[in-house]
Amino acid sequence: MALRTHAALLFGVVPLIVASACGGGGAPSRRTLVDSRDNYDPRSLDPALSTDVPTGRAVAYLFDGLTRFDPAAHVEPALAERWDVSPDGLTYTFHLRRGVSFQDGRPFVARDVISSWQRVLDPKTKGGNTEPLKPIKGAKEYAAGTQQALTGVTAPNDSTLVVTLTQPLAIFPKLLAMPVASIVPPNAGADLGEHPIGTGPWKLVEWKHDDYLLFARNPRYWGGPPKTDSLRARIIAEPSTAVAEYESGNVDVLEIPAGEASDWMEDESRRPMLRNTPALELVYIAINVTRGPLADVRVRQAINYAIDINRIVERLISGRGTRAAGVVPPALGGYEKTRKPYPYDPAKARQLLAAAGHPNGIDVELWVGSTPIYERMAETVQAYLNAVGIRTKIVQRESAAARGAARKGQTDLFIKDWYADYPDAENFLYPLLHSTNKGAGGNVSFYANPVFDSVVTASRRELDETKRNRLYEEADSIAFQDAPMVFLYFYNELYAIQPWIRGFDPPVIFNGQRWLDATIVRDSAGAKK
Amino acid sequence: MTHFILRRFLLAIPTLFGVLVVAFLLLYVAPGDPVQSMIGERADPETIARLRAELHLDDPLPSRFGHYVVNVLKGDLGRSYITNRPITQDIRERFPKTIQLAVAAMILATVLGVSLGVLSARNPGGLVDKFALGIAYLGISFPVYWVGLLLILLFAVTLRWLPPSGYGSLRFLALPALTLGMRSIAFQARMTRSAMLEALNADYVRTARAKGLSEWMVTARHALRNALIPVITVLGLDFGAYLTGSILTETIFSWPGIGRYVVNAISRRDLPAIQGTVLFLSTVFVVVNLITDIAYAKADPRVSFN
Repeated sequence: MALRTHAALLFGVVPLIVASACGGGGAPSRRTLVDSRDNYDPRSLDPALSTDVPTGRAVAYLFDGLTRFDPAAHVEPALAERWDVSPDGLTYTFHLRRGVSFQDGRPFVARDVISSWQRVLDPKTKGGNTEPLKPIKGAKEYAAGTQQALTGVTAPNDSTLVVTLTQPLAIFPKLLAMPVASIVPPNAGADLGEHPIGTGPWKLVEWKHDDYLLFARNPRYWGGPPKTDSLRARIIAEPSTAVAEYESGNVDVLEIPAGEASDWMEDESRRPMLRNTPALELVYIAINVTRGPLADVRVRQAINYAIDINRIVERLISGRGTRAAGVVPPALGGYEKTRKPYPYDPAKARQLLAAAGHPNGIDVELWVGSTPIYERMAETVQAYLNAVGIRTKIVQRESAAARGAARKGQTDLFIKDWYADYPDAENFLYPLLHSTNKGAGGNVSFYANPVFDSVVTASRRELDETKRNRLYEEADSIAFQDAPMVFLYFYNELYAIQPWIRGFDPPVIFNGQRWLDATIVRDSAGAKK
Repeated sequence: MTHFILRRFLLAIPTLFGVLVVAFLLLYVAPGDPVQSMIGERADPETIARLRAELHLDDPLPSRFGHYVVNVLKGDLGRSYITNRPITQDIRERFPKTIQLAVAAMILATVLGVSLGVLSARNPGGLVDKFALGIAYLGISFPVYWVGLLLILLFAVTLRWLPPSGYGSLRFLALPALTLGMRSIAFQARMTRSAMLEALNADYVRTARAKGLSEWMVTARHALRNALIPVITVLGLDFGAYLTGSILTETIFSWPGIGRYVVNAISRRDLPAIQGTVLFLSTVFVVVNLITDIAYAKADPRVSFN
């Protein structure tokens, strides 16, 4: 829907009303924290079905995994107090927290981990992304129904869990912090999605579909109960409405809509409320390396040189992006500071095109989904490409349709983004560019470079973090040279947090903030941070 | 009359079957893979293949359609691919909220629209008439989302009289109902005005005046009653449209009705949810139209049920 565009128009037309609306009073009288970030109803509260952000956020409130992410996206122990890895990297021994119980009083034991993961992998569960558990030995067979038990996981006693992998995978503890790997009670049935019972810091009070989720603190939470009694996650579909709710003081945190960032940043009264957070989101234009002239690396580099990306970042997203020189975001290990992005150099682009045997230019299709900001970007990119002789036709489709076409390899260029599931460079390098993930796996560039593949494969096995980061850097550098995409930018999330809120850090990864320390400060004198 | 209603009901069956066929075929040819939205961006081909098979997505079209029709006849709209909840339950939860909004919008439209129309017709060219005309122009030409956001800014953000969005008591209902009803208010005002002008000049009104009836009696009992016939028709059509198409209003005001449900279902390629709601809403539309026809005939003795 083009609502956001119209909303922007509206705010342009009636700035007076907006201006008079700013500068609201002190802390509200309510005692419930209110979130405004969900823009559609979670699909379910069952961790097994968690594939979208609203669901993932709620699952993190209600359930725990063996590990979890903090707001800065570092992995930390959760239901597992610590873990050991065997020298070959294949066996993980998790030492589980004792004295933890589910919200229904049942004690949490190691066997519950096995039943939870089997439940996720069980073909009967239908749907949900089981990838994070697939590295476990026997998981594929169990999911396919050819084996009756998950052979790679054993529970020698109530507080020890031994997990065997099919091959070494250094990021495994991070995978276990994903919502789908959360631990549910052994008797969990099909109604877990509506009536969740976990070990998490919050309990579900009620869920009014498309309206809100209300949580109450779990007084027996093993990490100490949340500081505030209750939390309401409102589901607000329209970004401008979320802004209005924030202006009215009805919600405590707000993700500022992309088009409105500069209004906020330029407003003296609102600037103190703003918090910039690097989102683990890469915005890029996938170049399908199997289609016609795009198979030539010089053509792909030419496309990178032809576009003034700095200007796009500055003008289209109000500077809320960090230029990309590879796929690994600056917030993660494996990011190489010294590598410079492709500069804007149309002459060089023309030169490369000519060298590749296209002195008269080429014709390409630039696909884009129905995201307003990308639609505008497509027009800008088109103009830049046309200017160097890359005659560009924009193909605009509804987002799911455009994604589908890209996965089938039907797009030349496709503007898209990638939001990390877990905070690790591997989550960019492997799905987006490894040859095993061509098409449906996420590599819609259909990039296949054996050298790149082998470096990424080696990095996945490397347990030593320093060495692993070096491999990530190497892989990223190879991809940068091969240019299977236009490296645009990493998006920076802009949050507004009400002055009366304490203890809320905007999370780098969607499930990294559980509102444990968040409080509403009623003292209006302290309302200025 | 029973005969008339029965015949209209029977006629509705082929209409609804047509809707079923079109909804089914359109989704079949529309691009986008429901399985992909079920399991997220990153999935292995085996899982995708297994799910497609489980959902019968690879079965031949006639067999899929047959299954669907049989289930619909049993009153089973299936389960959502995405949430795994029964579609009928989802509709049951959301539709009453859409009805609430539509009824409130219609009440506003009728009360405000008809009053404005009557008042302007009483004194054509006067101050009230000009005001009503202005309102009508704005109501017709302003897009819904614009009206909605303006109302939020004015009444919620600036004046703080009403909450900006959400579902709840009458305070929550006021702004979305006014937004949704705006176009109807405008139409009703214009229609009532012209119908009233015509009626006020009719012979029977002159007779009523000649009898010495009060101006109030003449306007309310004699003129308005006759002027209401076209108004009812438009009301009925609008009501049908509001029950089935308040998507923008529900989105702007975070109203948890069926419109947002449909949008969500479409963006997630949730085939059973889309088909179920399309079928349900078409039925609602047909029924509302039927009721309008009956009301029309009731209000105007000249319309025969045959």
